Amino acid sequence: MKKTILTIALAFIWISFAKAVDPAYEAAMQKQIKAMKSIPNLETSQQVTNGFIRISEAKNEEWLPLYYAAYNQIIAAFRFEVDKDQYFNQALDLITKANQIAPENSEITALHGFAIMGKLSVDPASRGQEMSPKAMQLFGKAINLDRENPRAVTLMAQMELGMAQFFGSGPEKACGMARMGLDLFKKEEAKITDSYILPTWGKENAEAVLKSCE
Amino acid sequence: MKTKAILFIYFLLLNGATFGQTVVSGKVLDEKGLGLPGVNVFIKGSYDGASSTIDGIFKFSTSEKDFQIMVFQFLGYKTKELAISLSENTLELPTIILTEEITEMNAVTISAGAMEASDESKSVILRPLDIVTTPSAMGDIMGAFQTLPGTSTVGNDGRLFVRGGDASEVGIYIDGMKVGNAYGTTAGNVPTRTRFNPNLFKGTFFSTGGYSAEYGQALSSALALNTKDLSIRSQGDLSLMTIGGGYSHTLANEKQSITASANYFNLGPYQGLIKQEIDFEAAPNGWDVELAAQKKLGKNGLLKVMARTESGGMSLWQPLPGTDRKVLVDLKNDYSYLQANWRTILKNDWTVFTGISYSKNLDNIAYDSLMVERSNELLHLKGTSIKDFTDQLSAKFGVEHFIHPFSETLVKEGWVRNYKDHESYLFTEWDFYLNKDLVFRGGLRAGTSSVSKENWLDPRFSVAYQLNEKGKLSFAAGSFHQLPIENFRVLNTNLQNSESNHLILNYLFSKEGFTFRAETFYKSYDQLVTFDGLPDNPEELKNEGSGFAKGIDFFFRDRQTFKNTDYWITYSFVDSKRSFNQFQNQVQPSFAPKHNLSIVVKHFIVPLKSQLGASFAYNDGYTFTNPNLDNSEMNSKTKSFQNLSLSWSYLPKPNLIIHLACTNVLGRDNVFGYTFSPKSNSQGIFESIPQGQVAPRFLFLGIFLTLSKDKTANNLNNL
Repeated sequence: MKKTILTIALAFIWISFAKAVDPAYEAAMQKQIKAMKSIPNLETSQQVTNGFIRISEAKNEEWLPLYYAAYNQIIAAFRFEVDKDQYFNQALDLITKANQIAPENSEITALHGFAIMGKLSVDPASRGQEMSPKAMQLFGKAINLDRENPRAVTLMAQMELGMAQFFGSGPEKACGMARMGLDLFKKEEAKITDSYILPTWGKENAEAVLKSCE
Repeated sequence: MKTKAILFIYFLLLNGATFGQTVVSGKVLDEKGLGLPGVNVFIKGSYDGASSTIDGIFKFSTSEKDFQIMVFQFLGYKTKELAISLSENTLELPTIILTEEITEMNAVTISAGAMEASDESKSVILRPLDIVTTPSAMGDIMGAFQTLPGTSTVGNDGRLFVRGGDASEVGIYIDGMKVGNAYGTTAGNVPTRTRFNPNLFKGTFFSTGGYSAEYGQALSSALALNTKDLSIRSQGDLSLMTIGGGYSHTLANEKQSITASANYFNLGPYQGLIKQEIDFEAAPNGWDVELAAQKKLGKNGLLKVMARTESGGMSLWQPLPGTDRKVLVDLKNDYSYLQANWRTILKNDWTVFTGISYSKNLDNIAYDSLMVERSNELLHLKGTSIKDFTDQLSAKFGVEHFIHPFSETLVKEGWVRNYKDHESYLFTEWDFYLNKDLVFRGGLRAGTSSVSKENWLDPRFSVAYQLNEKGKLSFAAGSFHQLPIENFRVLNTNLQNSESNHLILNYLFSKEGFTFRAETFYKSYDQLVTFDGLPDNPEELKNEGSGFAKGIDFFFRDRQTFKNTDYWITYSFVDSKRSFNQFQNQVQPSFAPKHNLSIVVKHFIVPLKSQLGASFAYNDGYTFTNPNLDNSEMNSKTKSFQNLSLSWSYLPKPNLIIHLACTNVLGRDNVFGYTFSPKSNSQGIFESIPQGQVAPRFLFLGIFLTLSKDKTANNLNNL
């Protein structure tokens, strides 16, 4: 009897150990996420991406470092004077890897759509036909995977706004979605603690969409 | 007590870790010895590392101990690993040199003769969408290619003519499989169109010479059309046009997709409203049914199947020069095409492709009381495999077999003549990258034909060198063989291959939104078919013709300078002479005008939700033999050809397009040649009839509606 209890207790301890997050990993992630929030130039951006890639190399069962590395490359492509296709392609490679670790993940799926949106923006006239439905489809899938994901909703709102502008139709649909996104961001903010390392970005994007509704 | 001891040991360990840190530093350079910034330098399995600075210098501290692996990683470069030993407080590493990885994205590509239409390609010659939005093309693939360098517009033919070659010298391939009778059959100066809808294809590769050993049986040009991969969504596409209509439905999921479509066209109602120059008894009409399916097989495999059947015809009164008489020409055509192909990536960097295609074309032609039935079949089997040995060396191996039966029947007389050819080919092609800026390609193609009892070998070679970031130089040379057209071979099955040798020098300059291309070429022709008599009744066919074509062409495209505007300008100069068909001397063929100019402009007006397009084509005229002048061949030239076409695409809603287009807006009376009466009249003059256009203008109005859950879908590609 004693033995059984001990075994169970040990098993519990083992499980709790296995489940407990690696503090070194968390610390490393927090450091990079903090650095990511204040990137002044391309060089720093590359440093941050490299940092995330290093974490992903050491901790190859985690999707989050790959996610952030991809996200940071997408942002760099939008912000800096670089070969945009190269950056978006690298982001897509990283997203593919993240997807293998965590398939059917709403955040990764939404980011995938974001990368496609980036590629589309390089040459909308000839890529729009193929890529805009692809991006929309990914955002739709991301929302279906997690209806609370504010980024999936916000990105879809951005896409809707772009298309409304292109076709000269009203932005009502985009605005509705952006408002929904903002509500979800509020909900998310309640969950955020100092050690929170899951994605939180995107509120500004939703606000930007809403600006065009006024 | 116990706890204290443990804490003490723990403290010691912690301290030891802090004191035992090693500072690792060094420098990363590229192959040219320049500092490489942004390189990710780290110790494998740890979080310790840094990025190199602008000079390639890196420095970081680590608490790892003993033997470790250092990794140097940078996008576009080969990752390097280095074994290190961490025992001292500092570790200064020797200079690390990273070599650039040669990838599809950064490596130089051979552009001699080649023009690629894809959305990914950096040097923009043509985009897939351009095929449907070029005003003069009227949605025909060939129409769009006629605005590219090296081509000539022959307005009463409609096919693609490349650099002094006739239309049969262009080999057309779908997914690498040869397409028999890719153009619709036509009669009496009514231009033909490609049978295949541009909507089927995701990209095209068009070569005006010096092409890969993968392609044979084409003296002048290879046009490779690549079908789309999996469809992205389920949708229905409805089209209503002044000349007919159609519906296409697609079902798709992540693993497979299938598209079924049916179309019907009849120019009758249109021609009832707008007067035509040609006296049609029955306006061109036809229907087609098509099925295309794609399925993912395994992780990297893709299976594509396509089947199409169509039937059409027309009937017209053809005037005879020197008489008031007209002859009724009646044409009926049935065509089927089937193909399946499978491509997959295997282990060890092997890519394998296998394909089968079959086409059957049946023409029933009645010329007055003469009735001819022509049947042409082509079965093509092909297998290729590509091996990437390293990022610098890759090889392609292929084997092909064709079964090609052809027969011609005089229906009333019951006379049949036919032949059935078996052709086999082996080819190989090797790409060697000395570095990412210099590539050599060598290829060899061997062929054999059972009917002509002939074996032949075609060596091909090309090289490309990236001069700087934007400019590159390519050179290509090669030997090409092609068996004569079926109508000739059936008359004399001993006819051998015609031969051509190509030399091409190409310069390409491309930067964001801007492309300039200049190409000069020389090609020789030998063993061309010559005969006695006229083309409608050739006799004594022999392989005794020869000739040449030389020239230079320029292309420039700008999508940058003017907002929402995209335009390209092409000028091609061709000097070609050949003895062929009935011509015993070397003459300039009627299908090879010397000066060819083409301008295409597209402008998108956002507030009007409209794209306006204009295209202008010019050449200096087509040669013809005027028996009233003297006895020499090709002694005259028509006036210049000019065609200004305009189009307007209006997108009121994302899923609705209204497209209006008009060719030859100015109504220029273009003439492509003259038909002379075989005998002179009482004044000793050979009377003639000009070979002109079907009508001065062609007006097109179409409404295209896409039905899908995704409201933003539209069928722009169907225009």
